[in-house]
Amino acid sequence: MSLEEPDDPLATRDVGVTEEGVDYDALADLLGDTVIDRESHVNAEGFVVRPDEVQDALFALRDEAGFDHCACVTAQDYDDRYESIYHLRKYDDPTQEVSVVVPSPKSDPVSQTAEPVYRTADWHEREAYDLVGIDYEGHPDMRRILLPETWQGHPLSQDFSGEEPQVVTLREHANPLADDKRSEDDPDTMFINIGPHHPATHGVLHVETVLDGEQIAHVEPDIGYLHRCEEQMCQQGTYRHQIMPYPDRWDYVSAGILNEWAYARAAEDLADIEVPEYAQVIRTMSAEMSRIAAHMLALGTFALDVFGDFTAVFQYAFRDREVVQDLLEDLTGQRLMFNYLRLGGVAWDLPEPREEFFEKTRDFLDDMPEKLKEYHNLVTSNEIFQMRCVDTGILPPEEAKQYGATGPVARGSGIDYDLRRDDPYGYYSELDWDVVTEDGCDNYARVLCRMQEVEQSARIIEQCVDLLEDWPEDERDIQANVPRTLRPDPDTEIYRAVEAAKGELGIYIRSDGTDKPARFKIRSPCFSNLQTLPVMSEGEFVPDMIASLGSLDIVLGEVDR
Amino acid sequence: MIPLQSNSETPFPSIIADLLGLDASEPAVLIVLSVVAAGVIATVLLTMTAVLGIWGKRKITAAFTDRIAVNRHGPYGLLIIPADAVRLLSKELIVPSEVDRPAWDLAPLIIASSALLGFAVIPFGHGLQLADPEIGLAYVFAVASIASLGLLMAGYASNNKFSFLGGLRAVAQNLAYEIPLVITGASVVIFAGSLRMSTIVEVQQQTLVSLGGIAIPSWFAFVNPFAFALFLIANLAEVGRNPFDIPEAPTEIVAGYQTEYSSVYFVLIYLGEFIHIFLGGAIIATIFLGGASGPVLPGVVWFFIKMISVYLFTQWARSAVPRVRVDQLIQIGWKGMLVLSFANLVLTAVIVGVAAA
Repeated sequence: MSLEEPDDPLATRDVGVTEEGVDYDALADLLGDTVIDRESHVNAEGFVVRPDEVQDALFALRDEAGFDHCACVTAQDYDDRYESIYHLRKYDDPTQEVSVVVPSPKSDPVSQTAEPVYRTADWHEREAYDLVGIDYEGHPDMRRILLPETWQGHPLSQDFSGEEPQVVTLREHANPLADDKRSEDDPDTMFINIGPHHPATHGVLHVETVLDGEQIAHVEPDIGYLHRCEEQMCQQGTYRHQIMPYPDRWDYVSAGILNEWAYARAAEDLADIEVPEYAQVIRTMSAEMSRIAAHMLALGTFALDVFGDFTAVFQYAFRDREVVQDLLEDLTGQRLMFNYLRLGGVAWDLPEPREEFFEKTRDFLDDMPEKLKEYHNLVTSNEIFQMRCVDTGILPPEEAKQYGATGPVARGSGIDYDLRRDDPYGYYSELDWDVVTEDGCDNYARVLCRMQEVEQSARIIEQCVDLLEDWPEDERDIQANVPRTLRPDPDTEIYRAVEAAKGELGIYIRSDGTDKPARFKIRSPCFSNLQTLPVMSEGEFVPDMIASLGSLDIVLGEVDR
Repeated sequence: MIPLQSNSETPFPSIIADLLGLDASEPAVLIVLSVVAAGVIATVLLTMTAVLGIWGKRKITAAFTDRIAVNRHGPYGLLIIPADAVRLLSKELIVPSEVDRPAWDLAPLIIASSALLGFAVIPFGHGLQLADPEIGLAYVFAVASIASLGLLMAGYASNNKFSFLGGLRAVAQNLAYEIPLVITGASVVIFAGSLRMSTIVEVQQQTLVSLGGIAIPSWFAFVNPFAFALFLIANLAEVGRNPFDIPEAPTEIVAGYQTEYSSVYFVLIYLGEFIHIFLGGAIIATIFLGGASGPVLPGVVWFFIKMISVYLFTQWARSAVPRVRVDQLIQIGWKGMLVLSFANLVLTAVIVGVAAA
């Protein structure tokens, strides 16, 4: 590597980098005339760019200033304009952020696509088109993504009326079987619908697949079957209490507390709420419990995909997940929809008697190494398993970055990116733990990565338990003083993310001075990760595609929201 | 006590004839009695499938995966068997449009009957053998592989792409593993010097070595453990259990060739699969594990113990081993198993030839 360094384009990608963070004036100089205005968001400065110069600005920011991670594209509808916001950050240091704000006129909402700069913008812009109604010029595939093709109107735009019925006759729906979609130059291929009802799609995912024999010639995930208008529902709830239950329903496989933290972090930073340290420790502990539960499920279902049936590994993983699930139940009173975090703290203190809870937790942690050894015996050191997973589903790091992959998917491709360390929140920076990365870039690396993350989570929980055990009784503040009705200042905008079970779970909130958000946008890690499926599986066999899908560990509730 | 083997060509019907005082050399009597005997054997097998397939399989898998499984229907949940039978048979038989009939209807019959036919020459011990022809072993392999035809028919006639893929996979797999299976079986024939099942069993009764007063019989599993291992693996592929359950591969191609079958047809296919596993177990018991021989317990009990052990082995593999990929399966079959089984055959022939000389 060191020999190549002089040619490394990264070496020149440092415009605007200073000791104290990003120097936005230098970035403004870099962008020059493309910038027509500047905005200040809570998390970063926003540069307002003309809708026909989006690519110039983004190319400059990516290639000169090193913003290689397009975390999210938020679209929204103002009274006088449409707006797309590209939230950019760096894989090396996600605290360096910048927003590119692209207004487009109300009468003709057209904006240049960012797809050539960041491949991940493909799906994000399709979603923006689908829900808000902005048309992205030059986009390779401007179709609806979440709603059916026949949907009338764009539900998050202001002129959409929910009162009018959606009258679409059955005839107008596309018949997925009518068009066999064989490629013209290769009549030997066969089109096959894997899903939405299929044993291996982990929910209602529809994968349109073109097979050449048993090999995959083309694959395209079709999502939206589990779209539940989560963003809109959050926009209709008040900050203080009504939004918090929803995050539990995004990644619903017991990663609830991690999701809640995403909202809590964004809203607390937006309204300037300090969380007591004691509550932060409880949050950290419970979040890592959620992560263990989620990773156990990921391991179990991946084994289900590769072993081919509800076999021993799946059941063992669920048995062990049950233990942590019980702990979470003791703590929160719920098994899945925890609703445990509150703005400014947590709902209640640890269950009484505390000693019993600590003992149960310690028992769980003590058993952990033994159990992980069992999994390594049964799964990762199994030769057939290695035959199946090593060197299949390859996701090169550069591609992963282009698609905005985060979490174990990115770390399995050797990208050292973990928001718990790189963009610290909660109590993580005070604790001793490591970020796990694997260089394999294949299905095997992703699974290994998750299994090692379970170990690290156990380390974090252990330290939290130590801290909580010795916490002086009169300093156990679980809740900061938060006004009963929260009304953040009008026109403040924030994008904040946490490291959820599947990766970077970000929330964008724009306030309009009322007690409800004017725009609530969810950046789901699964949504971005799922886009990498074609990269992983084209040219490989059907079983490899199924394994890759399992190793992505998507939860459709979070993909479709 | 009835001797372990008899010299008749049709041992079981002859025994019935003796019991009833009839003359088995009379063709008409023989035909009637053969049908009766076949009915007895088939009933035993179907009962076994009902117990092991509906109830036993659940209990075994549950034991492997830390669960309890059925326990609400009667003692140990045994009444799940009639309950499930009623459930499966009373379901609606859904015939998808544009299936290729009658191929689609025949396929389950072929799959189920080909496995049952194989049992015609299996010696359960004490003369409980329907027929004992000269070409016994060749006959078993021949009828058992008719099932491939059924699988292909089911996959092709279902008008479903998943079925189609499953049918093709099934045929590719059976081709790749039937040859090593038969070749390895042939090495046993070289040892035994006969294809007749009763002779193969008889040869295995001689003492191989005496260890501390215990006589180890010369079961071919002891004589040639390598061939035994090869045969076990090929048999796993033949019956389509992990790591070789490619044709069904629930997480990949839904249920393969049986995707479109419901109700009675589904039962027939399932029945065929289980009887195939038992047939595999019976062949292994006969040609590698000394047939119906063993200490203390009656021979026929030993035979069923051996047969069910092989069934347990398939269930163990199913619970613990990952599935190989379809290309890997073909590679293992053609590049590994085939070469090894031929090496085994040649080596056996040389050793037997040298020993005879």
